Amino acid sequence: MDTQGLSIVMAAAQIAAAIALLNGLFTTFGQGNIASTAIESIARQPEASDEIRSIMFVGLAMGETSGIYGLLIAIILLFANPLVSRFIELAF
Amino acid sequence: MDLNISNRAVVTIFGIEIWITETIVNTWFIMAILIAFAIVVRIHIRKAELVPRGLQNAVEMAIEMFDDFVIGTVGEKLSYLSPWYFTVFVFLAVSTLIGVFGVRAPSADWATTFGLSLITFFLLTILSIRYQGLKGYIKPLLLPAWPFLPMNIIGELAKPISLSFRLFGNMLSATIINTMYSALTPWWASIGVPVFLHLAFDIFFGLLQVYIFVIISLSYVNSAVNG
Repeated sequence: MDTQGLSIVMAAAQIAAAIALLNGLFTTFGQGNIASTAIESIARQPEASDEIRSIMFVGLAMGETSGIYGLLIAIILLFANPLVSRFIELAF
Repeated sequence: MDLNISNRAVVTIFGIEIWITETIVNTWFIMAILIAFAIVVRIHIRKAELVPRGLQNAVEMAIEMFDDFVIGTVGEKLSYLSPWYFTVFVFLAVSTLIGVFGVRAPSADWATTFGLSLITFFLLTILSIRYQGLKGYIKPLLLPAWPFLPMNIIGELAKPISLSFRLFGNMLSATIINTMYSALTPWWASIGVPVFLHLAFDIFFGLLQVYIFVIISLSYVNSAVNG
C-alpha cells in the first residue's frame, strides 16, 4: 500500500485546481472593464442603450469563457482526475 | 453530496447497452411539460380572435418578439431558423428553471449542451456552403495566407466546444454550489438562504447564459452566411 504517493498526487491536484481558479481574477477584471465601458457609452448616448446592452452581454459572455474553462479544469482535477486512477492502476 | 449523474436503467437493444441516465429522464419530463403546454395553446387558439386576448396574446407576443430578435440578428432571408432556436431557447430556459425544484438540470450534463451546439455547427457549415458556395466556405479558412489553414480548422472545430462548455460550466457550477450549500450547513441554515442562491445562480445567471447561447449561435450562423 503506497498511500503516501497517492496523497502526494491528490495534494498536487488540489493545488493545481486552486491555481486554475486564479484566472477568475483576470476574467473579473476584464468583465468589469467591459461593463464600465458600456456604462460610459450609454451615458454618452442614452438613445442607443438597448443596442449597447445586447452587445455588452455578448462581450461579457465571451470574456467569461476563459473563467469557465478554468472552472472546468478545476472540476476535472478534483472529481475526474485521470492521474489518480492511473496511479492506483500502477501502484496496487 | 452527490454530484455524479446517476444511472436509472440499462436497456439492451441488439446487443448495444443504452444507459438511461438522470439527464435523459429529466429531458423527457421537460418534453412532457412543453408538449402539454403546446397542446393547451393549440386547443385555445382553435377559436383564434383577430384582436388577441389572454393566453393567445401572451403567446403571440413571445413568438413575435423572438422572430424580431432572430431577424435582427441573422437577417430576413434566414428567418426560417426562428422556430428551431425558439425551441432551443424554451427547452434550455425550462431546464434552467427546473433546477429550482431540486431536479438536476439536463443542461448540467455536457451531452445535452454539446448535442445542441453540434447542431449549430452542422447548421452553420451547411448554410454557409448553401449560400456562399463551396468556394466561399473554403476561402475564409485560407485567410490571411494558406499556412494558416490548420489553425483556422481548429478554430472552426472549437466553436461548438466553447459554445457548449460555456452553458455547461455555468449550470454545473450552479449545481455544485447548491449541493455544497445544502450538504455543508446544518438544517436551520437551509430555510431561507437557498432561495437567494437559486435566484442568483439558477434563474439570473442561468437564463442569461441561455440567452447568450442562443445569441452566439445566431451570430455564428450570421457570420457564416453573410460573411
